[in-house]
Amino acid sequence: MSTDVRFVLRRGEHGYPAHLELTPRPPRVLYGLGDPGALRPALAIIGSRKATPYGLDCATTFARCAADAGVPVVSGAAMGCDLAAHRATLDANGTTVAVLGCGADIDYPARARDVLATLREGKGAVVSEFPWGMPPARGHFPARNRIIAGLAYAVLVVEAALPSGTFSTADHALEAGRDVLAVPGSVFFHGSAGCNRLIRQGAAPISCVEDLLDSLAGCGLIEMALRRGEGQGMSGLTPLSPASSDPVLCALLAQPMSPDTLATAPSMDARELLRTVAALEAEGRVARYPDGRYGPCAPR
Amino acid sequence: MTQAVVASSTIVGVEAIAVEVQVDVSAGLPAFTIVGLGDTAVLEARDRVRAAMRACGYDFPNARVTVNLAPAPVRKHGTGFDLPIALGVLAATGQVPRAATEAVAVGELALDGGVRPVPGLLAHAIAAQRAGRPLLIATEALPVVGAVPNVSTRAVATLSALRHGLPDESSADAPCMRDAGAGPDLAEVRGQPAAKRALEIAASGGLGVLFVGPPGAGKTMLARRLPGILPPLTAEEALQTAVVHSVAGLDVEPVLAGERPFRAPHHTASTAGLVGGGSPPRPGEASLAHNGVLFLDEVPEFSPAALQALRQPLEDGFLTLVRAEGRVRYPARFALVAAMNPCPCGFLGDLQRPCTCPPALVDRYRTRIGGPLMDRIDMTLRVDRIDPRCLLTGGSDEPSVAVRRRVAEARDRAHAREGDSAATSGAALLRACALDTTSRRAVERAARAHRLSGRGVTRLLRVARTIADLDGSDAVTARHILEASCYRAFS
Repeated sequence: MSTDVRFVLRRGEHGYPAHLELTPRPPRVLYGLGDPGALRPALAIIGSRKATPYGLDCATTFARCAADAGVPVVSGAAMGCDLAAHRATLDANGTTVAVLGCGADIDYPARARDVLATLREGKGAVVSEFPWGMPPARGHFPARNRIIAGLAYAVLVVEAALPSGTFSTADHALEAGRDVLAVPGSVFFHGSAGCNRLIRQGAAPISCVEDLLDSLAGCGLIEMALRRGEGQGMSGLTPLSPASSDPVLCALLAQPMSPDTLATAPSMDARELLRTVAALEAEGRVARYPDGRYGPCAPR
Repeated sequence: MTQAVVASSTIVGVEAIAVEVQVDVSAGLPAFTIVGLGDTAVLEARDRVRAAMRACGYDFPNARVTVNLAPAPVRKHGTGFDLPIALGVLAATGQVPRAATEAVAVGELALDGGVRPVPGLLAHAIAAQRAGRPLLIATEALPVVGAVPNVSTRAVATLSALRHGLPDESSADAPCMRDAGAGPDLAEVRGQPAAKRALEIAASGGLGVLFVGPPGAGKTMLARRLPGILPPLTAEEALQTAVVHSVAGLDVEPVLAGERPFRAPHHTASTAGLVGGGSPPRPGEASLAHNGVLFLDEVPEFSPAALQALRQPLEDGFLTLVRAEGRVRYPARFALVAAMNPCPCGFLGDLQRPCTCPPALVDRYRTRIGGPLMDRIDMTLRVDRIDPRCLLTGGSDEPSVAVRRRVAEARDRAHAREGDSAATSGAALLRACALDTTSRRAVERAARAHRLSGRGVTRLLRVARTIADLDGSDAVTARHILEASCYRAFS
């Protein structure tokens, strides 16, 4: 038997999040597990399920930053960026809320089981507008995105292709009068096209931790003073990538490449090139992606 | 009652074992029976022998003819017994001199009396050599058996040539070793320096390679060029490999000329097709690749059972099939090259085309290659389609000959250090690497950064040792470790 605490919040009743009430179409009922107090105004961090390490590292870095600033992180528990954001928030002892497209007691996706269990124990909350036991369905997810946007004062898209489900969340955020933030990506990579498009349409580009803190302060999630005063002590405040003039490093940071593609650019012996890449990897400046290319990653 | 005995042999595995063909012609109702556990092809010899004898002007005895193939409990296959049976009947009826039965006779008969070659002649020749007897075969097959030394080969084109006994010894020249480099050349592959480097290391250290890349990246093209950078077959290796090809009924000429085999079975290959099997058992692709290269394209698409069956040859260099009728052993020592797409649709990580696979499917696709096979893959490398501009510009890529020279030197160096028993694991490998403080730290750092398992570290050292051999270095240095860490398995 599960010992998790279930709660049901109805519109107009005590405990229903006020900021969710203010959105155009708030859910009538919100079923939840965990800590209802976690449903404070939050930062939503969302992104592609097929994330590259770049997207995952962005989600991790910015979620950690939000957690350090005391801002809850809300996301959809989907594979890729969403899960990375939940995990990073939990690692930094922050509060995080997962909004599901199925009953809040269902483990979906299966990969998120551990994260959902932690949230249900009270480290955060798992909520859904769908009744207990409802299985996931395709049509549920756009509706779920509406709640993610409603619970957040700002929505940060860390990585998105074109077309992308994150656009529905961004649209809901705009409808509710919330901020949309986006992390820019390579202009040559289709997996980043969605974020770049959002920026072109007016989303605030977030390219460093300070940018995010400014935006969080701008939408009232943190005090301006906090951003100025405590900001310096935050874990994420190192520059995302120290300046370097190494051509191989610069090429890989600009665009992930396989060693052979890289070899056509600078005129360099294959052996030397491989050694350089391996050395950069050992230093944690670049990472090998699951598809075998080397590309940027968060400094460790 | 007259009898005659003719020596012959039958193929079991890749060896020919001696069979005595005993012929008895006695009075009674005319009949022609063959006993001794022959298959259908053996039993059908009756009609071929009768027709061939008549066509060559001999008389088929109007008597009771019984043929026994001894040892009787061994199952016998194929048409190679036609010639010894005919010879036995002729000798028993006095139509050819008794001296004609001294040779080990192997050959199929045509209805017009012509003698035709059968598969596995090289194995038969080796059996004759061991028995110290002459070998009687079809003239057509002469070039093949020339590779076996110290066999007195007698060749006939038709059955009538035996009328006056065995023909004189025919000289069969050993096939001359061709100048290596007849196969596809590495210079034809434009760009891809890292992949070529990986092939060079694999060739030097006898390591397994896995290429991961989108369709059209040139994975197959690269793999095809591995035999060309391996040192040419020695005469002994060539004979070993040629025997397998001969038993399988394939052309042995390229192998005998020193060309290393390149086998690329399709991913629909059955377990029997890959490692051998069937009835009678036949060598599979893994054995046909003996002393050469086995290339598994689209390796996750192979049936898991078939891949699992490769475990024994990968570990031992041979494989044993156990069947109801006995065990057969096939040699199978090959260099493994595998290729796969990064995901089922093939475009994960491609810059031009988006991948359409759900993430969970990609994980499942990756894990379809089982543990035993992954353990034998020492190097993994991403290969991408090259820039079309690079294809069009004239440039000089290194030819296979130059790479082969370096590979040979590295192999000599490893051989001088380790002798025949290559250091593959544990203490011996560690000793061979001769790590100092700096390189030891490099190994530790790589192991920690990439979360390598114990096996992963062994693999890293093995690759690094080979890179050092290519570098002409006695000790493995941090530079070698760094390069080796680029070839670690994808996680």
